[in-house]
Amino acid sequence: MRFNIDELEVLFPYPRIYPEQYAYMCDLKRTLDAGGHCVLEMPSGTGKTVSLLSLIIAYQQNSPEKRKLIYCSRTMSEIEKALAELRQLMAFRTEQLGYEEEFRGLGLTSRKNLCLHPSVKREKSGSVVDARCRSLTAGFVKEQKEKGEDVELCIYHENLDLLEPHNLIPPGVWTLDGLLQYGEQQKQCPYFTARRMMPFCNVIIYSYHYLLDPKIAERVSRELSKDCIVVFDEAHNIDNVCIESLSIDLTEDSLRKAARGANNLDRRITEMKASDAQKLQDEYSKLVEGLRGADQAREEDQFMSNPALPDDLLKEAVPGNIRRAEHFVSFLKRFIEYLKTRMKVLHVISETPLSFLAHLKELTFIERKPLRFCAERLTSLVRTLELTNIEDYQPLQEVATFATLVATYEHGFTLILEPFESDTATVPNPVLHFTCLDAAIAIKPVFDRFSSVIITSGTISPLEMYPRMLGFTTVIQESYTMTLARKTFLPMIITRGSDQNTISTSFQVRNDPSVVRNYGNILIEFCKLTPDGVVVFFPSYLYMESIISMWQGMGILDTVWKYKLILVETPDSQETSLALETYRTACNNGRGAVLLCVARGKVSEGIDFDHHYGRAVINIGVPYQYTESRILKARLEFLRENYRIRESDFLSFDAMRHAAQCLGRVLRGKDDYGIMVLADRRFLKKRGQLPKWIQQSLPDSDTNLSVDQATAVAKAFLKGMSKAYPAHLQEGISTWDMDDLRRHQAKMAEEEIRMLRKEAEMRERERVRRRVVEDEEDEYGDMEVDYDDLVPV
Amino acid sequence: MSRLSLKNGAPKEISDEDQCPVCKSSRYLNRNMRFLVNPECYHKMCESCVDRLFSSGPRVCPVAGCNRTLRRQRFRPQTFEDIQIEREVDVRKRVAKVFNRREDEFDSLLDYNNYLNEVEDLTFNLIHKIDVDATEKKLKAYEEANKAAIRENEVLASQETQSLQAQEAAEKEHARLRREAALREAEEERRERAEGRLDVINQLARGEGNADEIARQGRRTLLKKSTARRVGTGDEMDTSDSAGTGLQFKGLRRRARPEPEKPFEPFGEVTVEHEYFVLKGHYAWDFLDTARTSQTYRAGGYDISEYCSRALTDAFAGLAVFVGEEQTAT
Repeated sequence: MRFNIDELEVLFPYPRIYPEQYAYMCDLKRTLDAGGHCVLEMPSGTGKTVSLLSLIIAYQQNSPEKRKLIYCSRTMSEIEKALAELRQLMAFRTEQLGYEEEFRGLGLTSRKNLCLHPSVKREKSGSVVDARCRSLTAGFVKEQKEKGEDVELCIYHENLDLLEPHNLIPPGVWTLDGLLQYGEQQKQCPYFTARRMMPFCNVIIYSYHYLLDPKIAERVSRELSKDCIVVFDEAHNIDNVCIESLSIDLTEDSLRKAARGANNLDRRITEMKASDAQKLQDEYSKLVEGLRGADQAREEDQFMSNPALPDDLLKEAVPGNIRRAEHFVSFLKRFIEYLKTRMKVLHVISETPLSFLAHLKELTFIERKPLRFCAERLTSLVRTLELTNIEDYQPLQEVATFATLVATYEHGFTLILEPFESDTATVPNPVLHFTCLDAAIAIKPVFDRFSSVIITSGTISPLEMYPRMLGFTTVIQESYTMTLARKTFLPMIITRGSDQNTISTSFQVRNDPSVVRNYGNILIEFCKLTPDGVVVFFPSYLYMESIISMWQGMGILDTVWKYKLILVETPDSQETSLALETYRTACNNGRGAVLLCVARGKVSEGIDFDHHYGRAVINIGVPYQYTESRILKARLEFLRENYRIRESDFLSFDAMRHAAQCLGRVLRGKDDYGIMVLADRRFLKKRGQLPKWIQQSLPDSDTNLSVDQATAVAKAFLKGMSKAYPAHLQEGISTWDMDDLRRHQAKMAEEEIRMLRKEAEMRERERVRRRVVEDEEDEYGDMEVDYDDLVPV
Repeated sequence: MSRLSLKNGAPKEISDEDQCPVCKSSRYLNRNMRFLVNPECYHKMCESCVDRLFSSGPRVCPVAGCNRTLRRQRFRPQTFEDIQIEREVDVRKRVAKVFNRREDEFDSLLDYNNYLNEVEDLTFNLIHKIDVDATEKKLKAYEEANKAAIRENEVLASQETQSLQAQEAAEKEHARLRREAALREAEEERRERAEGRLDVINQLARGEGNADEIARQGRRTLLKKSTARRVGTGDEMDTSDSAGTGLQFKGLRRRARPEPEKPFEPFGEVTVEHEYFVLKGHYAWDFLDTARTSQTYRAGGYDISEYCSRALTDAFAGLAVFVGEEQTAT
């Protein structure tokens, strides 16, 4: 359908639109007009991606500057889905407009997924593919070939040079598969095609890491212009992604490998001195000038890369004492040796980067400044030495990255040395965690550089937490509810067992037989009454194991067994995918299955249980993080002192976003239905932190149920669901066709006019009164959290 | 260890990590074995070997082929696993003591980097025993030539570390205080909440007024309190934070050079102002002229201005003293 949002013509590839999609688009447009950032929450399965794409494409095509869209998603499958949506949208646009727009949309993923080279693509590990690719495509390899040496080149990559550099691939939307096919036909490398075409694309779809991980972003996303529109989809975990991208763990093993790498470098330098001293001399004289001047083109074949460095540093020359290759290698060796001695300590150490640097200087005379240049200098050296087997130097690069980060950032980081894996272990296995505590550091460049950043997800409540944690200001933050013609999902909170004992997974009571039995009863009852698939989430693997073994002892599993096949998620990803496959088969035929998994595991993050794959989801316990972890403690402290977020607030926020994420797994669209059970006493107080769309269909009567009450409610719900509900009944309510939309727009316009008139009439009086009213409303609004506390039980 | 060898022909160390190369006893036999090295030749040996061999005075290193004389005093535990690095660090310690120029002493960054490069070259030579004699000579010469500058920079560096330590300690203390404050706050909130609840229950028990009304009232007061507290603590935190940044005098310290030392002042900077006379530079008197010109007077340290000032002080000493007052005072 075609419609206008304030003069902007939007082409929407479906004949009907959901009201929340329309609202979402309006807010998006306002954000783009205002040129700021926004946080938007829209229920999963209501066509977030398509509304996003159709609005932004419309915006892009109608504006003279054609702002580029960078769409970041989390997993491969989501990237592919978005590409398919985009393709469909563009086809629709062509059909409607009657002509084909000059448009390119590309997806980028790792070499492993996009390689065509017959032997390289067979490698299993991504880093090996990267390394082998480099050995076939790097600039110096080509030089060698031209000199007549016998080296192998990748024909797919070579063919790219024969094409026009700005027209490697015809316009259109290329899915990853399409790109591979085209590459195979034309014998050109899909990966480098995508990489090189990025500046000429209208839409780029890739993973978060290409923008957030400074090590990669530097190479891939450097050339993107300032006015790009950046979208982070499924962004509820974005702070953790940011933190992970800047955190480094060093183990004894990796240090050993790094030391070996340094020795190899040493040997290579000696060899090169004997054979081709000129090259080293050239590098040296370049470094005297300054880093960036040195490598005029930071080419795409550069594999090792440096983490986020302030720009002024990059323009500065490398400090004199690591200018010479041999000096630098001995510098690295000294640093590694120092780290090794630190690892020998047998008690936990937590220190700031500053005190680490002070100690380092005292012991080894390594100054802060050369340390900052470590990563960059290593890159330069590796390029000069023309090393091909890059994967051997990975640990060394990690150490260099660590060196650079520790010397660059004084605040927002901490070093934690844990000599033992667990509290009870006696054999030391030291790990040096260099942890980023501040999610804002990694994402800051993104906010600084791009004028419009859109953060969106199905479950991103409470909205105000994200701007606070990531350090940005929003133009709009909005959460949309789901318009439903009938209630298709049933959230409820179970706080008691049938025996009226409260249930909770809080540490004191989690292993009480009564609690375990009541949880078992919930499982049995819901397995009995739900058709097809049931998904159960536990707060941790540890608790899942213990409760399963207790259930086994109580005979609960035997009962469940009568109704459903039982499958369990394990930390091993292959086992889990096998379990998932079996689960799907079981749901497709027969009585279905129950999948027991962990709220922070793989299943909870990326796997959808649409339709009959998930008719009920049961959250057993509030999925809190493991609070004894030192890294978490450090982060909590940091959040409290720098962002004024209290420990308990953050923990409960984090737990609730994971719970919401788990709940959202079963509902993937408006024609889907499912039961959402939150089984813990503590959910009662935390329900205010659930996404708005879940809260909206959670009446107070369903928030304090016992198991038998819950069963009755669920049965009634399922009965209602089993009635046929033809699509035309939804029309006008939860789906709009063109007429409905026009009517809505007219109404909105009318409303606006009325509002304006009203406002003009009684502006003065209104203003005073409204302030008072708002105050009072606020007080009521927040109240409900504590209400139950006050009623004597 | 075996892949490392010292270049001066010292034998390769073939022992593995837990065996003493001298007495061949291993950690299996002696659980508390500690290894020591002597910076003379860096051959490691266990503590008991050191005791046994060197307690009666200096001796030649027991490792075959190493003819250096070692003293017990200089043995010390090994910091780094890699002996080569251990040695390197010792060399660096020595070099860093001499070459401690700072970046702000140079006109341009390039100069500073060249300087660093030069120093690194010297160090590298020393470590890898290339042209040791020539390098040592250079080192000595530089040390001689730049004694004052070296000393000055040493002082600066030590000041810097001190201020850094002080800052760190202050930060730690600050963090501790904040943590305590947060704990207190949480405690208080809990207490207040409990009180409020009790209050509501009491009111309800008395049965005065509408129950709903009472409950709502209770909630409202509680919320008001908590928001007030939140706002209050926010402000408080902010001020404490700014105080924290105020504490960081690191930049200040570093820039300010230490003031040149003042000459010693025996009277603690109390200057004596003469009230009744002004001391002139020259008094025309024959007696003084002889004293001024004569070698013999001046050789003894006789100072004319000193004499004049004393004479004048004596002359005017009684002016401000009134005998009557003095007597009553006593």
